[in-house]
Amino acid sequence: MIEILLILLAPVAGGLLYGFERVVRARMQNRQGPPLLQPFYDMMKLIDKQTLIVNPTHALLGVMHFVALWAVVAFTIMGGNLLYIVFLHLLASLFLVLAAFSVKSIFSHLGANRELLSMIAYEPILVMFAVAFYMLNGSFSIDAVRANPSALGSLLFLFLAFLFVVQLKLKKSPFDAAKAHQEIVGGAEVEFSGLFFEFVYMALWLEYVFVYLLLMLFAGDNILLGGILFCVVFLLVNLVDNATARVRMEHLIKIFLGIAVSLAALNLLGLAYV
Amino acid sequence: MFRKFRKKSPWILHYNAGSCNGCDIEILACLSPKYDLERFGVINTGNPKQSDIFLVTGPVTFRSRERLVELYTQMPEPKVVVAVGSCTCTGGVFRDMYNVEDGIDRYIPVDVYVPGCAASPELIIDGVVKALEVLEKKTKAMEKPRKLFSEATTKEGIVDRRECAQKVGEADAKDTE
Repeated sequence: MIEILLILLAPVAGGLLYGFERVVRARMQNRQGPPLLQPFYDMMKLIDKQTLIVNPTHALLGVMHFVALWAVVAFTIMGGNLLYIVFLHLLASLFLVLAAFSVKSIFSHLGANRELLSMIAYEPILVMFAVAFYMLNGSFSIDAVRANPSALGSLLFLFLAFLFVVQLKLKKSPFDAAKAHQEIVGGAEVEFSGLFFEFVYMALWLEYVFVYLLLMLFAGDNILLGGILFCVVFLLVNLVDNATARVRMEHLIKIFLGIAVSLAALNLLGLAYV
Repeated sequence: MFRKFRKKSPWILHYNAGSCNGCDIEILACLSPKYDLERFGVINTGNPKQSDIFLVTGPVTFRSRERLVELYTQMPEPKVVVAVGSCTCTGGVFRDMYNVEDGIDRYIPVDVYVPGCAASPELIIDGVVKALEVLEKKTKAMEKPRKLFSEATTKEGIVDRRECAQKVGEADAKDTE
């Protein structure tokens, strides 16, 4: 019962988290940030804008992206199969890519290409994340992960690789080349406006919820450790975002496939043979 | 019911219509920690489809005028246009030159004029806040370029378009719902 409530409130929680993060980022830059409820003010304003639909497929796929991501968060909260969740999340991202390809705009195609490239970069790590938990617990089920004590000690390299993924999924420097705000205008969401941009915007909040839920799986059944991990990673992600510049797309792929995937693979080898 | 949220989350599109970059630098300074515009919820989106306020600098040069009008039409209603800097308002130091159209109000309807060369960040913030007040009163119907359709006055042989513009804060009878 409480799970259904959590699932329904997931976008609201994501919005509050996103708003809080903007304030934290602003304070790190020695300025006062927007009010905490700013994402909700944005939401209300976007609903009130005139909606320019490019074509119905584009709008529908944008909504599907949001719905699929909400389904992913729902399955994560209800304790589903981790591998299925990773692939359902891939499907949700693919909806956005398909939406971006369904219009004849060059900027949209550019953003979609970059989204696909970044998927090549981070999906191996997410799959290895699921496999690592399988190797530890004998089952992909999230319930099994949450029932066992924290495996952070034996998953240290995977945790480091996962931090790379967090930085990319939350669209933060140095890995935000997929959106590349102001360089390629807007990435895959460039042709959305008004109400349909609101759906893509809310999908970003759900992305935050999803990534931080996966992060807290490293803590197993230890809620305190989960809270500490969340706070530390939250601050670290924002610190790195404020301190670094964006890397180019090819470098992003090289860094991920070179460093992060190697770390994750090393961890898997360690789990298998040590 | 959603109207009051319009001024709580104004997203900016910043376009340089041939300016010397002085006003652009001042606009970017507004978004920096000293004159923080983000505390009003302002984000500098580069995307016309997702912005409300069109901040334009520069007297319009030949090549930028098409882009100016295209960007303006790609923004969804309701929207406001803020002309930053003397060049954008009337042509500034470049008035009557062969390569510039004197200001953007020959092409798109302007709501707020921010003078100065370069306009200071405090003045730009003032202009943006005034633009938000105008934004709140607008409907979602397409704007008629009021200035272009009204008579321009001539003073000493110089065509003066400023006097026939709608004053800031003065809502047209057809604009309020």
